[in-house]
Amino acid sequence: MKKTLLWILILAMSILMVSAFSLTACKTTATTEATTAAETTAAETTAAETTAAETTAAEITGNLVIWDYTAGESERIADKEMLDAAIEEFQAKYPKVTVDFQLKTFEQIQKMAKMVLNSDDAPDVMEINSGKATIGLYVTEGLITDITSEAQARGWDKIMPKSFQYTCLYDEDGNMGSGNLYGITYSGAYVGIYYNKDMFEQYGLEVPTSLEEFEAVCDKFVEEGIVPITVGGLEQWPLCHNWWEMVLYKADRQLLDDFYGLKNDVDFQGEAFTFGAEKIIEYLGKGYFGSNTNGTSYTDANVAFAQGINPMNLTGNWAYGNFMDTITDFDWGIFLMPGKTLVTGSGGGTSLVIPEKAKNKELAMDFLGIVIGENAQSVFANAGGVPFHADLTKITDPKLVELNEAFNTIIQNDGIGFYPDWAIPGFLDVMGASLQDLFGGNLTAAEFNDSLSKPYYEYKSSVEQ
Amino acid sequence: MFLIPGILAFLLIILFPLLANIGISFTEWEGIGKPDWIGLTNYIKAFGDATFWGSFKNNLIIAIVITIVPSIIGLLLAAFIFEYISIKFGSRISSFFRAGFYLPQIIPVVVSGVVWRWLLQPNWGVVNQFLNNIGLKMLAHNWLGDKSTALASIIIMTIWFQVGYPLVIFIAALQRIDPVLYEAAELDGASWRQRFFYITVNLIRPEIFVVVITTIVFAFKVFGQVFVMTRGGPGRATIVASYFSYINFFDYGKVGYGATISTVLTIIILLITAGLIMIQIKQERSS
Repeated sequence: MKKTLLWILILAMSILMVSAFSLTACKTTATTEATTAAETTAAETTAAETTAAETTAAEITGNLVIWDYTAGESERIADKEMLDAAIEEFQAKYPKVTVDFQLKTFEQIQKMAKMVLNSDDAPDVMEINSGKATIGLYVTEGLITDITSEAQARGWDKIMPKSFQYTCLYDEDGNMGSGNLYGITYSGAYVGIYYNKDMFEQYGLEVPTSLEEFEAVCDKFVEEGIVPITVGGLEQWPLCHNWWEMVLYKADRQLLDDFYGLKNDVDFQGEAFTFGAEKIIEYLGKGYFGSNTNGTSYTDANVAFAQGINPMNLTGNWAYGNFMDTITDFDWGIFLMPGKTLVTGSGGGTSLVIPEKAKNKELAMDFLGIVIGENAQSVFANAGGVPFHADLTKITDPKLVELNEAFNTIIQNDGIGFYPDWAIPGFLDVMGASLQDLFGGNLTAAEFNDSLSKPYYEYKSSVEQ
Repeated sequence: MFLIPGILAFLLIILFPLLANIGISFTEWEGIGKPDWIGLTNYIKAFGDATFWGSFKNNLIIAIVITIVPSIIGLLLAAFIFEYISIKFGSRISSFFRAGFYLPQIIPVVVSGVVWRWLLQPNWGVVNQFLNNIGLKMLAHNWLGDKSTALASIIIMTIWFQVGYPLVIFIAALQRIDPVLYEAAELDGASWRQRFFYITVNLIRPEIFVVVITTIVFAFKVFGQVFVMTRGGPGRATIVASYFSYINFFDYGKVGYGATISTVLTIIILLITAGLIMIQIKQERSS
């Protein structure tokens, strides 16, 4: 009796499984059909485009799939508003094209990019972090469309400043900064000190103009029992900005070219790197950062500034729009770390690229054109972004004019110092772990610099082989 | 014939990825393009890699604590709920407690990780606020940001997360025991402690084995807590094998090395499981 029951059970389970399998099979067929349908539409679109002379843009049908992540980050309101405006403009031009805007997270794109770019599900436009480890790698594998000649034909090389193009150019080895154009970027980025004007006034402090003055300001706050600078070290990368700003006090353009370009050997125990790490240790000892950096998240650090707990916050202009919205009860501003020309930042930092396997490349190109067009760029500027093609007279808020002017100063001084993790793939994680040790007081300057030098030269020698 | 679907699923979901993973571990590969066969190089590299050893050391610490502490707490709680609460307050209250302790197992680990991160936030987290308010300010601490407490914090969170699992299994086991045994022991003058050790623990040994095996496997696979709460930091203080493998796969683009780490992890888990099952079989035979 028991045995029969057992058999019935096994039989039932098998039937269940088989039906589950066939269901999946059905699903697959359905998807395949859908894909074929999509392909046909795509083919029709292309056909339509070849006869573009007769057909107007309004008649073009199809699908534009966009993958983006910065627009989804709560700190980056400006990116969202700009992309919304760009999509609206695109829809006005192509009313019959469906725009499928998919918001991903930075993590998702970092992790999935490889597989998606290599599959038939590749979107038409995709936002990817700039650098050799990401776009550079995909370029060497032939997964991203070279848009050099197309862009020239559309005059983009004249719209995009050289320092912005830099992050979209890749050579055949995937090195950033020279070679062909593989995408566009719409946003400049730089790191500065957000400061609480009310608190500065309360303690009779001025915006510092040299490093000594900056330290004097910090000392004053420490004396008053206030932790001067808020840092979120839980995610590691905010530490990276704080530290790199110090290195840039003693770094020059030659050092940066060697460091990022893996050219001449970089001395990690040299003046610049030693100064950077020693300053961080000195500041920790003086209590500039407080003692809780490592357990504090980036969002928490920003909240601490917005609530007036800490008077200064060293972070990127991307937080600007968010502070404009959230800080209502005190006056605040931004200044660059005083007494140096090189600044952590970039013309771009993420690029919008067209995957090689995209189905609607023409539409994608048009969309990129709209993104760097004056309309979208002006929307971006008004929301707190740092664009290159905005009509500055259209910026209404004087604060935003100030923000954009600061960036122009950096560009004019050739002061873009980039982000240190761009040097080699996976550097941010090694660096981040070491920085947490540095900020936790567990490493000397020499030990810290050694921890960077090891993976750097390991990678460099693997490339040179 | 009836086995075909099962075998198919096994091949597709377990055997093929396992073999592929072992294969990849002998290569240098960025995840796209062609993998280069490099033989045992990855394994040799792992042998001299401090982070590799550090991650397995952390796994071992987690495995030991997570196996012992929640099992003991779970066993005591199970006995308490079964013998005291359910008799004194009825089955409704006892199932309320049982479900309550099991709840963390149902909540996605990412969600509880985020909540615990808030609790432990150094500046305004509930834990530090509470310590400040009751006058124990000197005990307030940067829990997740300090090397000496980060791993312990994750372990405590995992104990909270894990305790419901042994509890539920042990309660089920207790229901299996014939109450006559307890009655007889009581009449013979056995104390509660004696009854607990000689009857309860002795009779539910098979369940204890199941809990120990599954918990050890769970502890070696632990990932979500670390990912959400510390990202393996500060420094490398809380890195575990699965997370180390993950960052090699996805952040460094060292897919081959990532596969090496997970292969080693798989072998360790298999060995431990096999060892424990053998001990269990031996014990069952001897009894």
